[in-house]
Amino acid sequence: MQLEGEHVFKGPREEVYAMFRDPEVLASALPGTQSLNKIDDQHYEGAMNIRIGPVSGSFSGKLEVADEVAPEKCTLIVEGRGAPGFAKGVGRVEFIDQGDGTTLMKYSGDVQIGGTLASVGQRMIDSVAKSMIKTAFETLDKALEARLAAKAGSAPVEFKAPTEAEFAAAVTKDMASGLKEVAEVRMLFYVIPLILVLVVIAYLLSH
Amino acid sequence: MAGRVFGQSIPRNEDPYLLTGQAKFIDDIELPGMLHAAFYRSDYAHARIKKIDVSEARKLPGVVAVYTAEDFGEFVRPGPLQVPPPTAIKGSVFHARPLMPIAKDKVRYSGEPLAVIIAESRYIAEDAMDYIVADLEPLPAVTDLEKALEPGAPLVHEDLESNLAALVKQERGNYEEAAAKADVVIKKRIVVDRGAGAAMENRGLVVNWDDRAREMTIWATTQAPIPLRNSIAGRLGLFEEQVRVITPFIGGGFGPKIMTSQPDDVLLPIIAMWLKRPIKWIEDRRENFLGTTSERDQIHYAEIALTKDGIILGVKDVFYHNTGAYDPYGMTVPLNTQTHTVSCYEVPNFYTEIRMVFTNEYVVTPVRGAGRPEGVFVMERLMDYAAQELGMDPAEIRRRNLLRKERFPYPTGIIGQDFVEGVLDSGDYPETLRRVMEVIEYEKFRKEIQPQLRAQGKHKGIGIVCFTEGTAVGPYEGARVTVGANGKVTVATGISTQGQGHFTVFAQIAAEQLGVDVKDVKVVTGDTGHFHWGAGTFASRGMGVAGTAVYNAAVKVRKKALEFGARFLGVSEDEVELCDGKVCVKGDPSRSMPLGEIALKANPTRGTIPPGVEPGLEATAYFGPPYGATGAGAVAMIVDVDPETMAVNIEKFAIVHDCGTVVNPLLLEGQVMGGVHMGIGNAFYEKIKYDENGQLLTASLMDYLIPQATDMPKEMVVEHLETPSPLNPLGMKGVGEAGAIPTPACFMQALEDALYEYRLQIDETPLNPSLLWEMVQKAPKK
Repeated sequence: MQLEGEHVFKGPREEVYAMFRDPEVLASALPGTQSLNKIDDQHYEGAMNIRIGPVSGSFSGKLEVADEVAPEKCTLIVEGRGAPGFAKGVGRVEFIDQGDGTTLMKYSGDVQIGGTLASVGQRMIDSVAKSMIKTAFETLDKALEARLAAKAGSAPVEFKAPTEAEFAAAVTKDMASGLKEVAEVRMLFYVIPLILVLVVIAYLLSH
Repeated sequence: MAGRVFGQSIPRNEDPYLLTGQAKFIDDIELPGMLHAAFYRSDYAHARIKKIDVSEARKLPGVVAVYTAEDFGEFVRPGPLQVPPPTAIKGSVFHARPLMPIAKDKVRYSGEPLAVIIAESRYIAEDAMDYIVADLEPLPAVTDLEKALEPGAPLVHEDLESNLAALVKQERGNYEEAAAKADVVIKKRIVVDRGAGAAMENRGLVVNWDDRAREMTIWATTQAPIPLRNSIAGRLGLFEEQVRVITPFIGGGFGPKIMTSQPDDVLLPIIAMWLKRPIKWIEDRRENFLGTTSERDQIHYAEIALTKDGIILGVKDVFYHNTGAYDPYGMTVPLNTQTHTVSCYEVPNFYTEIRMVFTNEYVVTPVRGAGRPEGVFVMERLMDYAAQELGMDPAEIRRRNLLRKERFPYPTGIIGQDFVEGVLDSGDYPETLRRVMEVIEYEKFRKEIQPQLRAQGKHKGIGIVCFTEGTAVGPYEGARVTVGANGKVTVATGISTQGQGHFTVFAQIAAEQLGVDVKDVKVVTGDTGHFHWGAGTFASRGMGVAGTAVYNAAVKVRKKALEFGARFLGVSEDEVELCDGKVCVKGDPSRSMPLGEIALKANPTRGTIPPGVEPGLEATAYFGPPYGATGAGAVAMIVDVDPETMAVNIEKFAIVHDCGTVVNPLLLEGQVMGGVHMGIGNAFYEKIKYDENGQLLTASLMDYLIPQATDMPKEMVVEHLETPSPLNPLGMKGVGEAGAIPTPACFMQALEDALYEYRLQIDETPLNPSLLWEMVQKAPKK
């Protein structure tokens, strides 16, 4: 399965990349993490709960960050498995300075999923994934705004990460509203959230 | 009494139990101390097993035991094959790789069991799965039938040189010579994808080992109770008589429940012996999709050679058949495809080649139709392409090529699933076509109605196809008919019942011979404690084979009743007759004796039976045909397609079917309609989809769509032609699969006709609205 997408962040590339490397911020975008362990700078492992349609359960995974050229790009290699099945993926993330103070983030990858996740959850994954990504980017946009405001020393912009329940509610609401087209997200197929989720786990670890 | 019940539309004896919820199904069985089983299944389609750690699962309160392949030691081994290899076919290659009950060393399909959990409840057993850690090393999976045979493809069975499971070539005449002389040769690639049996009730097994009596009782949803008993007894080293298999009421079979030597029936009996407690396993729907067999999945490279007048000179068909990860059911399905491809037409030259392929998908075994729909789909599509090429009417090209009735019995030269050369025993194929055209008003639709509709911009099309159905194959079945002292009759036979109505039709056969009321005949099927010889319920053979055994036994009992009755009444045998449950003296009804009284007196303890005479009003008889009886028919349908949504509405469906002598028209109509429902599913709704990594993507009824009542034809006409088969005394042929066989082919022809301006050539089934829409987008519009 192929996946691909992009998102424009309203901030300079260095700031966006720093945020992307801040596991606490990323974790806030995709809650559900149960535990995290750092193996070394490039390797992490952790566990989290996932829920996709009728499929739920705990998931443990490994992540490798490869080919990192800060603040331009990196490759994420993830592998996770648990009662709901398994996922294996390679994702490439790229940050492009657009010259107008904004940064274009592009991601693409290949993912394989299996087990209950594929056989029963499959019909939900596409829509859940789109919705999760949309909600996650909304969170990241706010986080970036807060960070930039703090740095400029202006009046602080309040940023509070959504709880797992709030996040789930947002996803549900979004799905119920008929999944309006999200312009920035051109998901070709499934499961970017799994990758993001594992990214989160890993980066949380590094602190 | 003759003619009183046989051939009549008698309501079903079993319906009062079923319709009021009184019938006993497998999940209704509760035994004291009963434990529950669940299978922990592989998420990977192809992987090497490094370690399966079940230690944490064993610690969960309520878990009694958890077993992996190692725990079973030598007990876990492949097989046996349920159907023998095709050695009767010269030059055939077959690599037997029977099913493994639990994965050992390697996983070959997603859903293959890795561990079995026994717990106090199913809830606990399923919870325990979360504590099992399976360390598997994933391997590349094989799912594409053609790529699977390319050099370098990953091997499902590494001890074989390739993924080729079997190669069988059969030919009559010489196709290449015929093609060289033909005016037209058409070549197509045709795909028939996979569908499930999808019975309303999933599979299940309850086993009780009585350690003191040394007896095992097994309740199972099987179509083959006697083979199941024999395989379990053999594996456990018990006498067959120590194992009793009982089938309760079963909510549909459709083929997959014929399988034995599966994880449940291999592993649970021995666990029940170890633990000395009863065990229940009820399959859930996801397991049913993952671990119950399914069918179709063939890719055909087919050719037809004709004269310019549309006369067939020859047909060639080389096809890939997916057997899945193992081939426990031999070659029944692809052999059925070979025997059904050209069977209703005069095809002097026919070459057919099976390339059976191992893949990392679950096993393929017969599902209602069992290879026949694939053959018929290929041939009927070729006929349509030929008609288009030659500018002929689809009905006319068929009429010109159908076998004439004077050709029977017609040896086909092709060896089938029963390993004997196919012989078409009887029929009148052109008459079924003529009558179905009449019922659907074919000429009127084509010449009057359709031109007007098209002028109004409507998209209504008609399809018409012909087919045969090989049925009632051997080896044999048996039956015992007993008259009790209460005057009622028991019929026991070795096959089992999944809803066909055996409790009524077998009763009709016996009642007819013994002159009793149908309601006074109790039929017992699927209980090895009552009858323990036979093969099972498959290949539309219940009526033709087991029904004939019932007839043979009832005839013997009738003879015995007249003989004993005459003796007890003090007259000679030719002076008595059967009258309303009694033996009467002809012309003097006051001198009579009820059957029950004769049965009582026929007990030797009463001292009335001379030495050497078999006691009781009872007889056992068997029947085995030399080859199967072949049913046939023609179907036609009118569909209305919405070109914007590609929703298809079947307005009218007509079938004229010939299954020989009709025993019960009401039940027959039900069988045909049920088959048509399945055929509609195979045409436009039901599809089992594996992704390229061998992951099953359709493991719930949300993703695997079964046609609903509203998807059935708005009007349906089922008519019968009765050409008795010479192969059994009642002239019966089977009908269980008839509706499923021709329907996808007819549906596609009707779609092409409805969307005529796009000139579609639909070379695959099943479709769905999206696929049809894509085809229309790609089509060069007229």
